[in-house]
Amino acid sequence: MASLDQLKQTFFDECDEALQQIEAGLTDIREGQQSDDTVNAVFRGVHSVKGGAGIFGFEALVGFAHVFETLLDGVRRGSLKATSDTLDVLLSASDVLSDLVQMSRAGKPIAAGFGNEVRTALQQIIDGDKGGAAAAEDDNSPAPADFDGLDFKPVPVNFDDDASVADAMRSYAITFRPKAEMLKKANEPLYLIRELRKLGELELVAQTGEMPALSEMEPDRPYIWWTGMLQSSAPRAKIDEVFEFVVGDCDLEIVETNAAPAAELVEIADAPPTAPQEPSAPLPPRAASVAPVAAPAAEHPETASGGRTMAAKPAATTTRIELERIDRVVNMVGELVISQAMLGQIVQDLPEGTSGRLAQILEEVIHHTRELKDSVMSMRAQPVSSVFQRMPRLVRELSTKTEKKVRLEMVGETTEVDRSIIERLGDPLTHIIRNSVDHGIELPADRLAAGKNEEGTIRLSAEHRGGRIVIQITDDGAGINSERVLKKAREKGLVSADATLSEDEIANLIMLAGFSTAETVSDISGRGVGMDVVRSNIQDIGGRISVKSDRGRGMTIQLALPLTLAVMDGMVIKVGKQTYVMPLSAIVECLRPARTDISNLIGTRGMLQLRGDFVQLVHLGDLLDISSAAGDGGESDVIMTDAGEGARFGLVVDELCGHQQVVIKSIEESYGSVPGIAAATILGNGRVAFILDVEKLNDLAVSSPVGAGIQTKAAPVAKVA
Amino acid sequence: MPNAVAIKVLVVDDQNSVRQMTRMTLEEIGFRHIHEAENGVQAMETASLQPLDLIISDYNMPEMDGLGLLRAVRGHPVVRKVPFILLTGRGDRELVVKAAQAGVNNYLVKPFTAAILREKIEQVMGKLS
Repeated sequence: MASLDQLKQTFFDECDEALQQIEAGLTDIREGQQSDDTVNAVFRGVHSVKGGAGIFGFEALVGFAHVFETLLDGVRRGSLKATSDTLDVLLSASDVLSDLVQMSRAGKPIAAGFGNEVRTALQQIIDGDKGGAAAAEDDNSPAPADFDGLDFKPVPVNFDDDASVADAMRSYAITFRPKAEMLKKANEPLYLIRELRKLGELELVAQTGEMPALSEMEPDRPYIWWTGMLQSSAPRAKIDEVFEFVVGDCDLEIVETNAAPAAELVEIADAPPTAPQEPSAPLPPRAASVAPVAAPAAEHPETASGGRTMAAKPAATTTRIELERIDRVVNMVGELVISQAMLGQIVQDLPEGTSGRLAQILEEVIHHTRELKDSVMSMRAQPVSSVFQRMPRLVRELSTKTEKKVRLEMVGETTEVDRSIIERLGDPLTHIIRNSVDHGIELPADRLAAGKNEEGTIRLSAEHRGGRIVIQITDDGAGINSERVLKKAREKGLVSADATLSEDEIANLIMLAGFSTAETVSDISGRGVGMDVVRSNIQDIGGRISVKSDRGRGMTIQLALPLTLAVMDGMVIKVGKQTYVMPLSAIVECLRPARTDISNLIGTRGMLQLRGDFVQLVHLGDLLDISSAAGDGGESDVIMTDAGEGARFGLVVDELCGHQQVVIKSIEESYGSVPGIAAATILGNGRVAFILDVEKLNDLAVSSPVGAGIQTKAAPVAKVA
Repeated sequence: MPNAVAIKVLVVDDQNSVRQMTRMTLEEIGFRHIHEAENGVQAMETASLQPLDLIISDYNMPEMDGLGLLRAVRGHPVVRKVPFILLTGRGDRELVVKAAQAGVNNYLVKPFTAAILREKIEQVMGKLS
């Protein structure tokens, strides 16, 4: 059984959920999406926090939540208007409530006056509602156990009326003989028998004497019927209810006996079936009426749709599992994938003719393993909203501090991604948004002067794109001052003096190690942690970050992250003697072009003409500096890759060995980051193969002939601890 | 005199922590047959699957709240007579009046102790043995 401490833990987890609900609801209302549902959801959130806090004895939390709740109740009832001032107070209140929860969770003492400012503001609005007459309640007084003067008398149960509490066992003799009509109405006798069994000890004998020979059997006619005894404490009415829907469509006899002798029972059973109404044990009016009973209703589509409120779909049920347990399953699935690959190798090597059946079964195993992997991964998946939800508060606080007006838009919060990635997304996102408010969005006066809306907008979005999750942070602020950035980068020796860089390349300079962002370190961003740390954080989880700036109009930072850190689909390829794995998500198609499709252009290793387009060919052997057997691309395998953002090239390899799921093993801890290599894996033959980093390969391909790119400089980034 | 051990009770609350706490308190009193549901809809499902002797339900829940559940129970042919105790917050006087009209057997203000819970149950079910 759960201990009190565990229950408190559960309570705080619920608080986190409730706080998100409160915040999201209030934000919706502010955006003009006020409905009864949103207000109710916010109210319920606060109410839950208050209720639980009361039970677990967090008095400060109860007191504050109570005032908060009272104001929300006013809004809910319509006696208070949710003006923008009121909403500001409510949002601050949600912040204070969140702080109180965190302090209570950490077991920290809560200062007596904590949150008093907001509390007073709440109280003032409430008092305004009551015409200023009502005095503030003393909320720290212990809760009264009863309402004084309330005319309420507990209603005792009359046990004689209904034997609802434990009762003497009774015996019922039952004869149940379905008619054809019953089957036609899709009533399944088996369900009824199961329902009966729930009531107590049931012993039934199937009477099969009327079963004809198979050739004479009509499929829609019932031939079997039942006789038997039910020992139950349930009243007669309960048993009648089981048969409520089939009363007219079967011959039914229920006789309450006190341990009727078996012989008598057989006699009853052998009696010829009587008319349905006759087996007279009169049905009580309750059961005879048409009112459906909940349990059988599920099996009766025609009554289930009978417009009853409680027939609604069941709420999704959840269970909490320690992450560690799921991780153990994830690891085992990883090992299973490797074993399965090894098995596949063996089956492949078997002589022709002996492997047929085995290969077929292996195919099924592969299919199941994949489903298993996906299911386990979905258990670990979480919507990004858990990170996104922290951002509105951040923006609110920052905009107050900087005296800027900022609106935060969030899109795609329900996008799911592996938990391990979510956990490491919080800091980078916080930092980027800080930067946006602090450096990106201008002061209201400056914005007006620039012909913009005085309120700046930051848009935070998440979506699945090509096997990755893409998170974008876009602001409509000033963008990056490219001259200043370039000048600074040159001063610091990060870029050679004669290099010419595009706007985007300049924008990406801000993420180089050693590039300090702001000239004056402000209170908010620039606390010694620059964008370089953000970049290395994102790279650590196999992600990529890019910056696009539009001077004067704003900038976009895009994070492309893997969905999971454990298993992926890959294409096994060979170059020379080396085997590599290419992420399947980066492959558009594989082809073997004819020599005539390839044109030689100076400065390239060939251009492939593909359905009217020209695509640059890149030899993987050249990029990785290994000798390859492939010629100029003709008659060898070419993989069309998509490195994101429309960057496409054909990768020439020696051999395609096939598609396989691989378990990702990080090499960064041992070798640091190697350009072009993302990680390693273990293949079916037990050998290690490197997993290629397609986007980096693209960078390498682009930068290798010219050499002046920033990427080569940026590649050996030292990890900033 | 009803025996707490034999009474089948259903605890309805959307908050897992509060539900567990109520369960612990009931176990402290001597209850052993405790079913749980997260909201009114689930509660009605549970009630239709097995015989119940007592329902203790929170008021504030999504899907179907405590008052909705009380009305559904009282309007239901099978479970309409099951005793119903409503959990309320302090200050919810109006709610208690509504619940009384809908046929609630008793109400209980959160937070509560085992002694108060027992007293409230006994007012409905009679002295527990």
